Amino acid sequence: MGEPWIAPLEAGDSEAAWDLFIERYRRLVFSAIRHYARDYDDVMDVFAHVCTALRADDFARLRRFLAEPDHRAKFSTWLVAVVRNQTIDWFRQRDGRKRLTALAAALPPLRQRIFELVFLDGRTHLETYGLLRARDRPDLSFHDFLGELTATYRAVSAGRQGRLLVELSGPLPDLPAEAPEDDPATRPELSALLTKALDALPAEDRVAVQLYIVEEMPAEHVARVLALPNAKAVYNRVYRALATVRASLERVGVHRGDL
Amino acid sequence: MNHLSPEDLVAHLIDADPTIAVHVATCPECQEQVAWIREATGQLRAAAPSRWTETAQCLSEAAVAAFVDGQSTGAAHEATVAHLAGCGRCRAMVAAVARLATTAAVAREAPAARPLWRRWQVPVAAAAAVLLTVVAWPHGNDQIGTGHRAPTITAAAAPVPLAPVAAVADARVLRWSAVPGADRYHVTLFDAGGRVRYETQLADTVAALPDSVALVPGQSYLWSVEARIGWDRWTSSPLTEFSVVRAPRR
Repeated sequence: MGEPWIAPLEAGDSEAAWDLFIERYRRLVFSAIRHYARDYDDVMDVFAHVCTALRADDFARLRRFLAEPDHRAKFSTWLVAVVRNQTIDWFRQRDGRKRLTALAAALPPLRQRIFELVFLDGRTHLETYGLLRARDRPDLSFHDFLGELTATYRAVSAGRQGRLLVELSGPLPDLPAEAPEDDPATRPELSALLTKALDALPAEDRVAVQLYIVEEMPAEHVARVLALPNAKAVYNRVYRALATVRASLERVGVHRGDL
Repeated sequence: MNHLSPEDLVAHLIDADPTIAVHVATCPECQEQVAWIREATGQLRAAAPSRWTETAQCLSEAAVAAFVDGQSTGAAHEATVAHLAGCGRCRAMVAAVARLATTAAVAREAPAARPLWRRWQVPVAAAAAVLLTVVAWPHGNDQIGTGHRAPTITAAAAPVPLAPVAAVADARVLRWSAVPGADRYHVTLFDAGGRVRYETQLADTVAALPDSVALVPGQSYLWSVEARIGWDRWTSSPLTEFSVVRAPRR
């Protein structure tokens, strides 16, 4: 790999290896951390947490990466993945439920509940809607729920950990321009039908749809990870997959406007 | 009337192309298509599974990195795709790592290495010829191979912050000495609490602070400059403190 820290690491001089490693990658690690944390103290603490994770068990993580049969990923991409996971880990450990709840203290009660269910409990949007109707607001329409959800996302995104929280909780569903005829009882059923239709697609098509539409990955990136020739091929693949899903739904009597 | 292609319809949904929008506005059939795709998209997002559940089958960081780099192949690639098709947590991680690795601030600090793409095999002789050409030619971030950031050369000349230094009446412009051979400078301004207030990269030895960076009179600030003096080699100035004096009352 041409990395100067590997030779001393393999020779058992771990500290010399670490000095070379951190000199080389310090800036990359800090940049990745700053993507999620702006507060100086947070950045320094997360940096220390990342260093501890990399040094743990005599540099076990680095040794595992080196032991891969062939180094297929760029080292920097792997390191970015490690930093991202460790940053999430640090925020979860430090913040815990109590401190995160304080972020939502200024929100109205319904949005506090949404915050709790989506951002603390990791519930999906549909689960959250179902729980709110069952326990808090039986009369809440799905359209009104999406409005409240949007407002909650907006409030959370304004905070310094917003990017991380939103990343963990998924993209916001589009808010329909007009309130549809809402039949909350059938919505989970529709969702189940959609999921079933999607599950019938080949795995690669499902991943293309999920990465492009749900995760909002640029089409060029989706093309690269799935070995498609270009972005146009991704658009085509997504369209065909959605058309197949549409046909499946229409066969069971679900038409446009029902969704 | 020529209707939009599937590619245009899907691309328009995310990227809102104005040319396509004009056609959609006047074409009922394409409007119907866009509306259906939009509804399905909204429903898919609403029904997205939780990203919080980790299983023993979840992808390792190395597997995610290889997938993001477009380097997973064969059975490993198929296994990764099969897992991603059903795992919201790992899909979110793939998207996040891809996004983070290409964020400008992160990408500029990444070693200038690109893995050899095994997916499209080329004859060994041709690959060797390309590799020799690339190694011999000084590149920036497009270099093929596994070279990484070289250690900072501490003995090289470092840029010297010229102004502002200590107490000054005005500090809207940062100036530093040129470093022979440097083709780029990275300047960072911190407040007294160590928070980054501004940073930029440029070829000049002068940086004007944008209006969005407000300097509070009487408070201390620190700044430093790094000069790029070779391929992936930087030399740094010391941290320099300054403060803006309060204007005298009239």
